Amino acid sequence: MSHWMFNCKEVSRRVSESMDRNLPLYHRMLIWMHLLMCKYCTRFRRQVKMLRELCTSHRLDENSPDPDVTLSSDACGRIREALKSSSP
Amino acid sequence: MTQTAENFSVADPDLDPETWVDRYGDYLYRFAVARIKDQAVAEDLVQETFLAALRGRKSFKGRSTVKTWLSAILKHKIVDYLRKKYREQTTSDTDTITDTVDGFFHKNGSWKIRPEQWNLDPSKIYEQREFMDTLFKCLAELPDRQSKAFMLRELEGYSTKEICNALGISPTNSWVMLYRARMFLRRCLEIFWFNKTKEENS
Repeated sequence: MSHWMFNCKEVSRRVSESMDRNLPLYHRMLIWMHLLMCKYCTRFRRQVKMLRELCTSHRLDENSPDPDVTLSSDACGRIREALKSSSP
Repeated sequence: MTQTAENFSVADPDLDPETWVDRYGDYLYRFAVARIKDQAVAEDLVQETFLAALRGRKSFKGRSTVKTWLSAILKHKIVDYLRKKYREQTTSDTDTITDTVDGFFHKNGSWKIRPEQWNLDPSKIYEQREFMDTLFKCLAELPDRQSKAFMLRELEGYSTKEICNALGISPTNSWVMLYRARMFLRRCLEIFWFNKTKEENS
């Protein structure tokens, strides 16, 4: 691999990494140059971002739980008992 | 200054296990029901969370609130439960997917298994519960730590630092794990969701 050019394997790794941390400007430029020329890496990037989008919507949906849902008194009793019997 | 549980167990009623069910029971239960959709399992996970917290009480350093600490334990329990559940359901269909990154590329670094076109609107996919089922089935096929890293990152929104703390790995290691997970999951969804949907629509 030339130092001034990333191949597809390298780009896919960096694209994934860019979703978890900020990459140096130099690397971002090399990725951008590669993406201009490579439809498969562009597709890869779009798809892993879509995967994140889907997981995020799933998470946001789950993070607004129904306030009316509560533990039954039976369950509370059971859990208290379990805690008591496991207490040192 | 950080405090250990023992230092302030008397002063801080939050750390008295007897108060946990009243204070946090409903909150944790709602959280679990929203993710698991099964009330009996959610109750069990809340109980397991409290018991794990009781056992690990001494290691609680007071850097976060008790609520955050208990939520973190519950999240791990949920991730473990989902992995186990979907692992039991999986078949060997995914064996055809290469499990190494190298398998996706030629020696010169160009794509050997090229990403295919996904002609679907993400907002519509999300409406279909089956999509998340397929994702969880694909996740269950990944090695434990890779799948856990992905779930904590994308489904729980953990930062790199939080993932490293939870799994006891380095940041570089976490990025490699997430990369491998994304490579595998992208392909797995392509085969078991996108291609299948394409066939059904054609």
